Amino acid sequence: MRLTPTPSAKETSGLGINRRQFLKRSGVATGGLAAASFMAAPMMKRAEAKTEVSDAPVETKRTICSHCSVGCGVYAEVQEGVWTKQEPAFDHPFNRGAHCAKGASLREHGHSDRRLKYPMKLEGGKWKKLSWEQAIEEVGDKVLELTKEHGPDSIYWLGSAKFSNEQAYLMRKFAALFGTNNVDHQARICHSTTVAGVANTWGYGAMTNSFNDMHNCRSILFIGSNPSEAHPVAMQHILLAKERSNAEIIVVDPRFTRTAAKANKYVRLRPGTDVAYIWGLLWHIFENGWEDEAYIQQRVYGMDEVRAEVAKFPPAEVERITGVAEADMLDVARRLSQNRPGSVVWCMGGTQHTTGNNNTRAYCILELALGNIGKSGGGANIFRGHDNVQGATDLGLMSHSLPGYYGLSEGAWKHWSKVWNVDYEWIQNRYDQTEYHDGKPMHTNGITVSRWVDGVLENPDRISQRTALKAMFYWGHAVNSQTRGPEMKKAMAKLDMMVVVDPYPTIAAVMHDRTDGVYLLPAATQFETTGSVTNSSRSLQWRDQVIEPMFESKPDHEIMYLLSRKLGFADELFRNIKVEGSVPVVEDITREFNAGMWTVGYTAQSPERLKAHQQNWHTFDFETLKARGGPANGDFYGLPWPCWGTPEMGHPGSPILYDTSKTVAEGGGNFRARYGVEHNGTNILAEGSWSKGAEIEDGYPEFTDKLLKQLGWWDDLTAEEKQAAEGKNWKTDLSGGIQRVCIKHGCMPYGNAKARALVWTFPDPIPKHREPLYTARRDLVKDYPTWPDSESIYRLPTLYASIQEKDVSAKYPITLTSGRLVEYEGGGEETRSIPWLAELQQEMFVEINPALANDQGIKDGDMVWVEGAEGGRVKVMAMVTERVGPDVVFMPFHFGGHYEGESLESRYPEGTVPYVLGESANTATTYGYDPVTLMQETKVTLCRVSRVSLA
Amino acid sequence: MAQMKFLCDAERCIECNGCVTACKNANETEWGVQRRRVVTLDDGKPSEVSISVACMHCDDAPCMAVCPTDCFYKTDDGIVLHDKDICIGCGYCLYACPFGAPQFPQQGAFGERGKMDKCTFCAGGPAESPEEEFEKYGANRISEGKLPLCAEMCSTKALLAGDAETVSDIFRQRVVYRGHEDGAWSPVDKASHPETSANLTTSSVQQADHLAYDAARKG
Amino acid sequence: MRAHFTASRLTVVAMFLCLMLASLWLAPQALAANPDGEIGQAVGTVDADTWRQVKNGGNSIDSRHDSNYSLINQSGETWRQIRNRWISPGGLIALGGMLAVLVIFYLLVGRNNLDHPRSGKLMLRWTALERAMHWTLATLFLTLAITGINLLWGKFVFRNVFGDVFWANMIMATKVIHNYVGPLFSIMLILVLAKWLKLNLPKKHDLDWFRQGGGMMKGKHPDAGFANGGEKAWYWILATVGLVVIASGLVLDFPIFGQTRDNMQWANVFHGIASLMLIAVSFGHIYIGTAGTEGAFEGMKTGYVDETWAKQHHNLWYDEVKQAEAADPAADPATAPDDSLARQQRPN
Repeated sequence: MRLTPTPSAKETSGLGINRRQFLKRSGVATGGLAAASFMAAPMMKRAEAKTEVSDAPVETKRTICSHCSVGCGVYAEVQEGVWTKQEPAFDHPFNRGAHCAKGASLREHGHSDRRLKYPMKLEGGKWKKLSWEQAIEEVGDKVLELTKEHGPDSIYWLGSAKFSNEQAYLMRKFAALFGTNNVDHQARICHSTTVAGVANTWGYGAMTNSFNDMHNCRSILFIGSNPSEAHPVAMQHILLAKERSNAEIIVVDPRFTRTAAKANKYVRLRPGTDVAYIWGLLWHIFENGWEDEAYIQQRVYGMDEVRAEVAKFPPAEVERITGVAEADMLDVARRLSQNRPGSVVWCMGGTQHTTGNNNTRAYCILELALGNIGKSGGGANIFRGHDNVQGATDLGLMSHSLPGYYGLSEGAWKHWSKVWNVDYEWIQNRYDQTEYHDGKPMHTNGITVSRWVDGVLENPDRISQRTALKAMFYWGHAVNSQTRGPEMKKAMAKLDMMVVVDPYPTIAAVMHDRTDGVYLLPAATQFETTGSVTNSSRSLQWRDQVIEPMFESKPDHEIMYLLSRKLGFADELFRNIKVEGSVPVVEDITREFNAGMWTVGYTAQSPERLKAHQQNWHTFDFETLKARGGPANGDFYGLPWPCWGTPEMGHPGSPILYDTSKTVAEGGGNFRARYGVEHNGTNILAEGSWSKGAEIEDGYPEFTDKLLKQLGWWDDLTAEEKQAAEGKNWKTDLSGGIQRVCIKHGCMPYGNAKARALVWTFPDPIPKHREPLYTARRDLVKDYPTWPDSESIYRLPTLYASIQEKDVSAKYPITLTSGRLVEYEGGGEETRSIPWLAELQQEMFVEINPALANDQGIKDGDMVWVEGAEGGRVKVMAMVTERVGPDVVFMPFHFGGHYEGESLESRYPEGTVPYVLGESANTATTYGYDPVTLMQETKVTLCRVSRVSLA
Repeated sequence: MAQMKFLCDAERCIECNGCVTACKNANETEWGVQRRRVVTLDDGKPSEVSISVACMHCDDAPCMAVCPTDCFYKTDDGIVLHDKDICIGCGYCLYACPFGAPQFPQQGAFGERGKMDKCTFCAGGPAESPEEEFEKYGANRISEGKLPLCAEMCSTKALLAGDAETVSDIFRQRVVYRGHEDGAWSPVDKASHPETSANLTTSSVQQADHLAYDAARKG
Repeated sequence: MRAHFTASRLTVVAMFLCLMLASLWLAPQALAANPDGEIGQAVGTVDADTWRQVKNGGNSIDSRHDSNYSLINQSGETWRQIRNRWISPGGLIALGGMLAVLVIFYLLVGRNNLDHPRSGKLMLRWTALERAMHWTLATLFLTLAITGINLLWGKFVFRNVFGDVFWANMIMATKVIHNYVGPLFSIMLILVLAKWLKLNLPKKHDLDWFRQGGGMMKGKHPDAGFANGGEKAWYWILATVGLVVIASGLVLDFPIFGQTRDNMQWANVFHGIASLMLIAVSFGHIYIGTAGTEGAFEGMKTGYVDETWAKQHHNLWYDEVKQAEAADPAADPATAPDDSLARQQRPN
């Protein structure tokens, strides 16, 4: 037995050529000894060439994982332009070097051979290579032609949550200057109901605390969230809470998820009954007097109306609706009440419902009743999806707002046109000036990503714009993450042009039956460019460029420049932004949005500050995220927004929203005064609650120049600031003076109000339980019907009652829900093209309970048809498991490349087929949209499951 | 003399497969060869538990005992390595291994096994040059003073790697504050386990957790 | 004569000493591994129920696609112990013991000579085809035996003696030869067994043959047909144990037909025991066919045996051939060594 490797054992080979050359020539790896052998040894064949080991100098880049919103830091080691190693960032305050499967696979992005390599177009059913010049020319000409004929609203700009902040902002500005609000991104189908519901409850639609702060939780309620698969690194923090403070982990979900496996308590919920479930908890909380009466008194408006609604949900009724027994309800209510502060976490399981906005508000109300918001260890910790879905939302890549949630009012446009240094009238002229049902297109919400399909297929007379959509730009979008696959296929056929801008061809390139008019433009990944990214807990992080764009791909902002130049508004788009060659300077874009994003406090995160944070990960504390010493001393990591005022003001960022225990200058705050000062004659400003050190020791409205003058604080402004602030408020004062003075006096620029349990502007001011559009519980439809059909939401007629009224439950008796897997992200084209990940999940499947499987004669591993209630069907493998209940089946939505049993593999451009293909779950999903945001319904529909007959 | 070992804290393992992928990243094993695997027992049931396993670098390694070619050896750190030049792909190590660690790339029309591949604790293997070493065995992080990438990248710090005593110490401390003899968290009744939560000073708890991190960083 | 005898005995003693030393040397290799201990160290926080399940290899899934390996391969250690503690030393003892027995037998009893002078008249015993088949099979067998022995024990000798480079090539060649020759041997053995099946069907007189020890102890010669009891025994050992060797070998050789790790462990155990048995018995066969019996080797070498030899060892066959000759005097056994003739000479 040898104890150490003996170098003497490794005799050199007897070959006449250098062994390395031999290996290269033969394309295989083999042993030195074996190479000398008289007999060929079985050789190691590599599916892919290994990364060359080289002595070249190592450059270490700091970047951020692009696969989810936790924002894990990564050290990328680059040699001679090749990404040769990925090292764990132990000093990164979010992940301490940790990664899930996706994060651990990042380096493969720098080596992927399945990428889209050059611009292409589909001509006569064949993919043809184009030069960038040709591609921009042809695409641009078509856009100009369609615009001339049908107006700018005929083009749809579908952006991406995988853009950097700068790219997302630029894309929104691009659409604005192009003259349309038909621009959106995946936040619409991700957390739009959260953003709307939560922002309307207490001010901002974002995660209130941080992942690290969750160490302090005494209880955590996961409802419709499965971080073990969707945000694995968050589990590091969650398990620490469990270990350190013995926090109660409660998982409420139709599936027994991997998170449930780590929970103290699991509750199986009937899909789509979240509001009833939360009301059931509150029933016990109110019944036992467990609510935080003082907190409600000081900081919550409308809890009495909530009580009235909750009274309608006694245990028996809750059990009838949700399927959860009284004992379990009481148990969870007790655990939450006795373990405070506690946090609630929800994700797509709560948001992707027709009733999404009701769900998200109900969760908020639960947390308000328990007095958990604005406290360390408490909070509504809404885990976002894509790496920059928070940033892209903040930066307004949405059809209903300009950057910073300013909306689309004239004031909003004037604010931004001033920031952009572009004439308001010039922009106005870019728009269709006609008045439609919803109003003038410039000021009305554009069509949403969830419904571009209807924007194409709907009768143009019923669309609140000039025509139906004629051309689609899929700029970083997975169409298979959207519901109603068969309808989408029809819509694609009807379009004049489809343009896919993406590192991969995506399902949009293959699922249609078109033979012409499809363009593929290769975009670079976030590792091939630089910029900032906002994680779920609102921290901005700067990414280094790791490698040069691969093949002929270009960064998104460069493609935007090329297109805007072709379309004739590059001068306006880049007035404040330097363009080097054809590449806009990223830092200039950051500075431009810094100059205008006063509402959400995106103003002080200058590129310089972000880079200082990036270079000093190790100085930030793992518990508090606060830098101890170093260049960023006192800052919270990533300057979590709101980070008020100008960069020079040095605000540290706000790690916990609405936290009254800290001064505003230290990142504290209170609920936002966003909805006036009273409602129905009742004061809705805070009562007897204010952030530490505030000179106004009570509620107060948001700050304007007039309020400053009333308070006698006007003279705290400098002369220049006075000039800029005159006639402005905290949101529109471009000097930041109003914010500076407010904070100097310990006050919140946005005022100090109560949170609203009652959102009087929403269809259901107090969240109501409403049965899903497709429900097997017809007995509940009468008691809890959906809304009436709507003539126009976001420019489109939207159906509710007319769908729910049709009873299809006899033909489709099983509830279908969908979700995700840890190895893949979104539509999965990118992750299924990474062999290390694809190897782990090679087969699309449906989870079926053993009882249901037995009833249907289905065995584990059988191929089955899952047919959705609108007729779309998928052929998938049955996974028989108790993970789901007997009346529910589950499918992951990351697969694509098969359609109703047919492989679309031959339709991919050569060399771009992902390693794994499969049916898209969304081929079988159905109609259903939230009335506030048009969030799609992916979590509850009906289906039937049958074994694929062998014949 | 250090005895390098892995330790998987099953209470923390969430089956994210980060370790499996990190290994691929470090060692670039081909499609189908996963040196580390995550086994989940009772998948989808309340008793579900996941455990990440690879070569355990056994004290008395069965693979070494049965290898007809004697291609295995143990390093001073207790890491079980093998010489692919001597390996003949007979499969005996796979028959004997308690943990399913050895894998064989299939090749040839008759499905002949190629050279065995298994976890090297990121310690490479016998080769003349770094290039050859990486080609045959993957990364040699140990020589750079680093620990295996799987453990370093574990999403929840469930997987620990390092000297057996160090990783056991970290684990023992976790067990103490979880308050259950099996190392699981104690059931809900906190009153009966006052030592498990509030009374245990945060610093000692943090220390136990940070040790994992430090151990992972120090190597 | 006496001195010679003593020297031989000393040799035997020396051989036994060697064997004992060898098994002492093997002993440390048979230490028990402790997979439970290893996994106990490697997996914290698993409660008793889960442990039971881990050990029983219950319901589990694996991140490896299509993997059916349970968390702990419980049978691995059993296999190792069977192989290293029993088969390996047992095989050494069996082979060494058999050699020793043969040597001692030779020394004590000596060669089984012809009782009467050679007649000079030859009888056709093995046709060219049969001899070709025999020697092909014998070559394949020896190749497999040598390579197999090298796979089992070679590492204790050759790596230390000749170094890594030699050993790497040698053992790789060994494996390749063993794996490719194996299937050829399988085919050949089946052909040989088929060809000689009729000759080896047991007869009543075979029982007497065994009862009289096959006449090994000089003096008596029990009745025997074309094939005597010993030869038939060898045939049937090949037809049973040999087939086990073949079947288990093929399971091991082509691991792509869904056979599990457990299947292969068992196949390996059967293969080891059966092939070592065959090798041990083959020593006896070789001894009897060469040094042990005067005139036996030339039969398989030339195809012809002396009538004296035939009369002594296969009296019934001799009688029958003679009767047949009497019936058909035209036939000259010495001139037409072909299968049809051979068939005439083999009544059974």
